[in-house]
Order: sequence, then structure tokens, then C-alpha cells
Amino acid sequence: MHSEQEIYAQVRRVLAELFELPPEKIVPTANLYTDLDIDSLDAIDLILELKQITGRKVQPEQFRHVRTVGDVVAAVRELMQDETAA
Amino acid sequence: MESRLRGMLDRGSRRFGTGLSFVVFGVGGTLLSITLFPVLRLISPNRAVAQRRINAAMRRVMGLFIWFMRSLGLLTYELHGLERLARPGQLIVANHPTLIDVVFLLWLIPEAGCVVKRALWRNPALRWPVIWAGYIPNSEGPELVQDCARLLESGRSLLVFPEGTRTVPGQPLLLKRGAAQVALASRADVLPVTIVCDPPFLTKGSHWYQVPARRPHFTITVGQPLPAQRYDSGALSHPLAARDLTAQLATHFTRGIDAVLNAAREPLVTNPPEVQSARL
Repeated sequence: MHSEQEIYAQVRRVLAELFELPPEKIVPTANLYTDLDIDSLDAIDLILELKQITGRKVQPEQFRHVRTVGDVVAAVRELMQDETAA
Repeated sequence: MESRLRGMLDRGSRRFGTGLSFVVFGVGGTLLSITLFPVLRLISPNRAVAQRRINAAMRRVMGLFIWFMRSLGLLTYELHGLERLARPGQLIVANHPTLIDVVFLLWLIPEAGCVVKRALWRNPALRWPVIWAGYIPNSEGPELVQDCARLLESGRSLLVFPEGTRTVPGQPLLLKRGAAQVALASRADVLPVTIVCDPPFLTKGSHWYQVPARRPHFTITVGQPLPAQRYDSGALSHPLAARDLTAQLATHFTRGIDAVLNAAREPLVTNPPEVQSARL
């Protein structure tokens, strides 16, 4: 099972590596667009990367409401729960 | 006293001229959209020919408009490195200090495509000319990047203002990464064009009637093309390559603007005789 903590650590790692962000800026409340300077095109690269973690296809629509790092963690967790249920 | 009066008269006449230019541009543009452009479309055997002709006509119209503004004494300009604009299929990126940058560049670039406000697709007069000219509506991120890359791959050059809107006067340039994303998607040569308008004129947030005390002078400098190997060596991941190219362009524009402004501020005799002889 993946705990919330594990998923959070993974998401932080992906964000830090993909966009070369300083780790101290990646907190659950940080807004991807305004605080972390991630644009809609970066979001596609992020979704592709998250595919690697979840091991399943991620639809961009599932990330439409995502605004903060915490939202990303929640979205990933939801995806993985779906996986367990299936 | 007399020179001050002359200055006021000059400023007043430039204010009037600027207003007149706006009217001429608005009325002229609308008239051409319902006369010249539809005629060019009708007499062309197909879309591709119509697009070429309409692009050529657009260039002339833009050139005529700049000539008109210069003749009214509203501005002066100097152009450097224009020959580099001629090669087709380049991604031409420019900083965006004034409202008429696009007029200058559509005049100077042969067969340029550009990104136009989506709202024009709903404008009854301008809708068809922008479609026939093959311009691109500013849609959402990924779709827009694809449209731009496709236009470049068709062999036309594309004009993009990476700032997305006019520069906020007195603020550092703030480039969005869309232009870099188009470069990465198309691997086209990136050709930077630096525009300086001194003193500032038709800037973001100013009104047309706020003309500067001195007549504005445009310096438009076409830089050296940046081939894909220079911005996409493969060493960086996609998001980082986009950041890197965007930073490169911001530095290029900022330095270019500073160089022009500093040259303008220098005294007329830049090299005192003794320095010159020392160099010889």
C-alpha cells in the first residue's frame, strides 16, 4: 500500500527533478501555477511523469481541478485507490 | 520661450496625428477586410494562392501604415539586420514594448504567420481575412503550440511575442514559455528581434493621446538565428529546456534594449581624439 506520506515524497521528488525547484518551496499548500511557476504545458510533462509513479494512464481531465501540490497528492492517491479497487 | 512653444505645438500635432492614425487604421482595416481581401480570395484559384496574396497585401498595408505615421512626424525608425528575416520557416520572437510592434514586423517579415486574438474569429469584418491569411487563434496551451509548430513545418515564418502582451513600462521583461515550447516542438531556428522605442510610446496601460515630449524613435534589431542544436542539445529534460531557452531570450532582449538605450544616452562624440589615436 502507498501511504499518503509516500505519495507526497514521490510527488515532491518528481516536481523537484522535473522543474528544478528548490525542495523547500514544494509544500502541500504551494500553488503550482503561481508559486512554482508551472504552466499548462509543464502540467503535461508532470502528468506524463506521474504516469510512471501510478503505473496507470492519467487523463489530463483528472488534473483539471488540481491547483496545489496537495491537490496533486490527492489526485495521485485517488488514482491508486482506483487501481486497488479494480 | 519660442522653442517651448514649438515643442508644445509639435506635441499637440503628434497627438492629433496619433488619433488620426488610429482612425485610419480602424476604418482602413475594416474597409480592406470587406473589399481588397475578399477580392483577393475570389480571384485566387485556391486557398494557398489566396494566402500568399493576402500575406503580400497585408505586408504592403502595414508598410503603408508605418509610412503614414512617419510622414505625419509621429515617429522615426532605424532597422538593422533585416536580411535575416527573409529566410522562411523561422520562429521570429520579439519583445513587445508598443502597440505597433506587430505592424512593423508584419511589414518587415515576408509571409509571416502570427498568433491573433481569438476574439477576431467572432468579428464579422476581420474574421475572414485572418482565416485567409492563415493566422492562428490564441487557443489553450497544447493546441496553440501544435498549431504554431504546424505552421512552421509548412515553411512559413511565425511571429511570436513571448511576453504574450506588451511590456509593462519600467518592469523587467517577463517572458512566458510558450514560444520556447513552440521552438522545442518544431525545432525551427529561433530568430530574436529586439524592439526599442525611445521615448516610450503606445505602451501598455497608456492612452493613445499620451504622446511623449520628444518624437519617439524605434530601433529594430534582428539578432542572429539560434538553431535547434543551440537550445535543445538533448542534455536537458523538456521542461528545463523550455526554461533555459526562455531565459536565453530574456537575456538577449534585455541586453539588446540596454545597448540601444545606452548608445542613445552617450554624448555625440563617443571617442575623444586621444583614445582614437591610442587605438590606431
